[in-house]
Parts: sequence; C-alpha cells; structure tokens
Amino acid sequence: MTTISRRKFLGSAGLLGAGAVLADGARRGARADKPINFSGWVFKPDTVKDYVEFYNKKHGGQVKYEAIPWATYHSTMETRAFAGEVVDVMYCNSANREHWFENGLIRALDDLPGMDELKKKIAPASLDSLKNRDGSKIIGLPYFTSLFILMYNEPMLQQAGIKAPARTWDELIEHSAKLKRDKVSDTPYLPNWNNSASGTMPQFLSDCFSEGANVFDPKNRVIVDQEPGAARAMERWQKAYGAGLVNPEVLTKTSSTDTHRLFWTGRYAYHTNHSYYLRTIAGEPENSKLAPKKARMAMYPGNGQTHMFTEFYTVNAKTKALEDAWKFAKFLGGNGNGDWYVQRQWCLIAGLDNPYPEMYDHPEITASYDKWIDLKLLREQYKKGRTINAFKESWFSEYDTKAIPIVHNIIRGSSTVPKGLKELAALQKSLA
Amino acid sequence: MVKSGPGGRRLSEAGFAWLLVLPVLIGIALVVAVPLVYSLWLSFTDVNLLRTTGPALEAFGVRLPLYRWVGLRNYLQVFGDPLYWSSLWRTLYFVGAFVVEATLAGMGMALVLNERFPGRPLMRSLLLIPWSLSRIVVGLLWIGILDFEFGALNGLLHQAGLIDSYVAFFKNGWSSLNVLVSVYMWNQAPFATLLFLAGMQSIGEDLYAAAEVDGAGYWPRFLHVTLPALRPILFLVLVLCTVNGFLMLDLIYVLTMGGPGYDTTTISWLGFQTSFKFFKFGPGTAILYTLTGLCLLLTLVYHRLILAGFEAEG
Repeated sequence: MTTISRRKFLGSAGLLGAGAVLADGARRGARADKPINFSGWVFKPDTVKDYVEFYNKKHGGQVKYEAIPWATYHSTMETRAFAGEVVDVMYCNSANREHWFENGLIRALDDLPGMDELKKKIAPASLDSLKNRDGSKIIGLPYFTSLFILMYNEPMLQQAGIKAPARTWDELIEHSAKLKRDKVSDTPYLPNWNNSASGTMPQFLSDCFSEGANVFDPKNRVIVDQEPGAARAMERWQKAYGAGLVNPEVLTKTSSTDTHRLFWTGRYAYHTNHSYYLRTIAGEPENSKLAPKKARMAMYPGNGQTHMFTEFYTVNAKTKALEDAWKFAKFLGGNGNGDWYVQRQWCLIAGLDNPYPEMYDHPEITASYDKWIDLKLLREQYKKGRTINAFKESWFSEYDTKAIPIVHNIIRGSSTVPKGLKELAALQKSLA
Repeated sequence: MVKSGPGGRRLSEAGFAWLLVLPVLIGIALVVAVPLVYSLWLSFTDVNLLRTTGPALEAFGVRLPLYRWVGLRNYLQVFGDPLYWSSLWRTLYFVGAFVVEATLAGMGMALVLNERFPGRPLMRSLLLIPWSLSRIVVGLLWIGILDFEFGALNGLLHQAGLIDSYVAFFKNGWSSLNVLVSVYMWNQAPFATLLFLAGMQSIGEDLYAAAEVDGAGYWPRFLHVTLPALRPILFLVLVLCTVNGFLMLDLIYVLTMGGPGYDTTTISWLGFQTSFKFFKFGPGTAILYTLTGLCLLLTLVYHRLILAGFEAEG
C-alpha cells in the first residue's frame, strides 16, 4: 500500500494550487473578446446555455445569452432596436429576416472573413435561402434546416394487414378509410393542420409541391388558383376531413409540437410534420408509445417533393464588436472552431438538420440518427426538398398568417376549393 | 392656512394638499397618461418600429418618434375590413355570454358562501384559487382537462361508461368559442363572487328581519332586499366583466390561436396580431382603440340602466 507523507501532500497541494492560479491567469490572458449579447427564441434554452458556456470557456468569449418566448420574439427584438439597444447576434426566422435587413437592423455577411469557405460547404438550395431578396447578399447563417416528411405507425399498419406504407396520396386515403372502417383507429390520418406558422401553411406548400403544383410564380405572386395540383391537394384534404379520417381538434392546436404529441399515443396511422419530430416519436420511449422505432419515415407521396426551409442566425448592423460577433456567429452557424460543435449538438439533442452535407459523414451523427430514422432515406428526401423565395417579401408574414383561416375553411368545406384558392391569390395581391 | 416655513410664504390648505399629491400625480401622468396619449397618437400614424430617424419627442434620454401623420386612414382601413366586423360580432357574443355566465355564477356562489355552514372559511379561500392563477396557466390546465387525446375529462367519462368515444371539445368554431367563454368564466367568476359577498355582508340584518316579519321567503327576500342593495356592486361587476371580456387575449393564445378559421378571432386577438405579428402598429392601435370606445359606451349604458335610479333613490 502506498503511503503519502504530510510533507509530500502539502508539496503536491502547493504545486496544484500554483498550477491552477497559472492556468487561470493564462486563460484570462486569452480572454480578449469584447462582450457580446446573443438572443434567441425559447427552444431548448439549456442546450444553448451549455454551448454558450462552452464557447466562453474554450474560445475566450464573453457572450451573454438571453432566451425570449417565441410568440413575442421578433417584436421584442424590434422594440429593443427601437429603444437603441444593440443585440449583437440574434436568431431570426425566415418571415422577418428581409424586413430586418431592409430596415438596417442586420448586416450582410459576404465581406466577413471565412464566409467564402462556408458558402462552398452549404447545399445549394439552402445557400439560396441565406441570401436577400435580390440574391446579391448573404444575410444569415443557418440555425437549422427542416422539411416535411411522412411518418407511419408500423404496428398499426401491420395489424390491419397493410404490408407497405402508402406511396401515393390515394393509397394513403384508402389505408386511412380501411383503418377507420375496421375500427383500428377513429382518425387514422394526422396532417399538421395546426393554427401556427409552422403548421397549416408549410403543410399546404408540401402537399401542393408533392402534387407538382407551384404555389408562387418567379415574381413571388400566389398562383395556386391556376394550378390543378393545388386543387387536387385541397380536394383530398376536404375529402379526408369530411370522411372523419382526421381529428378535427388538430385545427386548433397551437403548435407543431402539440400536434406531433398526438402521434405519441399510437392511435394514428399516418402523420406529416417536420422531420425532427420523428426523433421524439420514434426515439423517446419515455414519452411515445411508438418508440423505439415503431414509427418510421416513408418517402413523401406523390412526386416526393416537400417544403424545405432554413432558420437563421443574424449579425446586428450596429454591433460595436463586429469581429467578436462574427466569430461567435460562425461558431453557431458555421464551423467556427473546425468541429461543427453547435450543429452536432442540435443533430444529437433535437434531430435538427443543417445544410452542411459533410456533417452527415460524421460517425457520431450517423449513429445518433440510426436510433430514430433511416438517415439514408432522409437524405434522399432532402434531395426532393423545395424552398420558396416568397418568404423574402415584406408581405409574406401577414399573408402566411391570414392564409391559414382560408385554408381551414377549404378543409372544413365552408369554402369550395376553387373559391378558397382564388381567395389565397387575392389575399396576396391585396398585401403586395 | 398652512405655513410653508419660518418666514416663508403661506400656503392654502388646498395648495398644500396639491403639493403632497403632486409627485403621485406626476408618476401617474408618466406611467398612464403619456402611454395612453402616445398610443392614441400612433393610431393616426404610419408606424415602422425600425425607422429611428425623423421627428421625435425627446426628454431625459427617452426618444419617442412621432412618425408620419396619416389622419383617419388607419381607422378607415380597419372599418373597411370585413374581418373586423365579423370579429366584432364574435367579440360581442363572447362578452355577452361571459358577462351573463360570470355574473350569475358569481352571484350564485356568493349566495351560498353568505350562508353559515361548516367549512365556510375554507371554501371562501379555495374559491380564490382560479382567479389567482395566471391565465396562461388556466389555459394549460384546461387543455389538460379538455384535450381530445390526453384530456382528463374524456378519460373520466369514458371510464365511467358515459361516452363510447372521446368528445372533441374544440371540434368546430362554435364549440371552441363556447369553451373559451366557460373557461374564462371559471377564471373570473370568483372575483365577482368576492365583490357580491362583500356587498351582501354590508346589508343590514334588520332589513331581512323586517322582510321575514312581513312573511317573505328566501326568494322574495333575495329579490326585494338583496338584489336592490347590490345594485352598485352589480354595476361594478358588469363593468369589470365587460372590460375584461373585451380585452381577453391570453386564453385564445393558449387554447385556439383564433381558429379554426377565424372562428375564435375576437377584436383583441385581431389587434394583437395586427400589432405584434404584422408589426402594423397604426392599424393595430386603431383596432384596440375601438375596443376602448366600446367599453366606455357600455359603461355609460350600465350606469344609466343600473345606477341612475339607485342614485335618485339615495
């Protein structure tokens, strides 16, 4: 048995103490960054706090993070700017980004060091989303990318003798009708028709795209009233709702999160929603009856195209610490420290995708996806993801909100399909 | 007369009183009057929060931009929007149903709690719990009770064998709107109870004794003694319920977000969306000022209907 003398113990402790003091001094020497304010809407704020803390410790940052409730996030940031406050790095959603850029709240990033290298790493469709309306400037770095996918309840389909998930929309309706008829499920189909910005309208875009319809023309005007694919999608929605295949309460759900939780119950056969929600449905046995991996992903029916979008990190145009703000923004939305730290965290913790294809070669990432989704199929689905440019228009946010009741009226049959689609086009015209 | 100090100028009592309350008046002006007048001004302007140049009021480092005056344009735009009118009729239904439900429930509970029975102090304390909860919490609580999939009520009814399949309380606009009315009544009726109870306790026992001597039973005593004496309280309850009903926003936010369609969109929700979602603060404040006008109008109506006679009798 090894014994330690009192003299040796005190000597070692002294050395350790001196080491700690020196190390702390060295760390303070490296801490050269100016203080940075960073704000985001509330989504897993503890995760954000962790990586901000990591950044401050490992990269000499002085970042102060604040989470603001989603519902009032963008108006809060605007009123703060109005009061003269400068938040150096901010989250921004697609509907508000152009408005912020045009009014001088956020700056273009093209002239900042390292941007050219980042551009080469981003998937082309997503790179386009990062640009301003005329496509001349990059005005955000990606927070995450997502698209709509089709999920199915494998045990329920098996129980009903359905061997493979629906490949076409007609098949999906047929399966749902059979499941209802056989009393396997009261409402087998769960589309994301919730009343928030992440629900009905992205679902509308996805289903129109999957029917080969264009929703906007190249000048970003709404043209659904001239698209037979859009009419087909809406007729199908009306039919599904009218036949009682959909839980009517989905229309008053206030978020996609609330909607996807319905699928946890295992009482639905098909669900369409943002891809990352399959992570909790199929990967969290403590919450979902469809975990582990009883819910699966299938390629989106129709031509397989769905709506894909990106949310952003932006840099304040009035920041007094541009160098440090950019360094931190790259840590968040780029590859600031060479190891994709933040993107990896979001992939691992929340299943959030990003537009950097090379991330998906990382063994830790592939192993993590394997617990809840077929990553190969997801990457195939991403190849069919379609973005829109209309979100860069100043009227988009209002259009996107006011379009929901019109689409809900079509679904519920209080408006005919042609009338409802004409109303959507007229709404956009009235706002543009 | 009050001396202001040795050898100083004399101050009248009224002047001295004004001097004492002046700091409070200044405080009230700053936190109530200035925002009120400024928001009224905004309803006549073209507001863009991110535009920080141009004319402004500046004092003590605070800058209030004045924006471009557009006259009645915002109000004309609001009144020309069919959505405003459909929301207004829906709001009037919501307020009417809520005021009736909250007043009747409040009165009923106050009548019960005015009687002597074991556990009355505890009941009076428990009564205040719904009112003391934040409305966001109230909304979440009722989602927990009424939700189609996870709701406790559906589970209870199903297990008791009273229903075969779960009831969708939010299945259409009409039922969603009525759920909102009832949940808000649950939240607000205890306050009405509190006011009615305070009013009932101030009614002299001799009035009841005299009525009993005249052979009046429970309901005649209620109709001819309690109710007339409660008229000022009834006025207060009606005014508060009306104002609260018009302004209710948070339950819509948590329970329906104005849907399905526009079926639960009220004027306050429309004003909130216009201001804070579309950043159109001009039309947004115009919408909300029409609510202020309606509240004032209804207060005058209540005053005339309920209090005019009471004051004349007094």
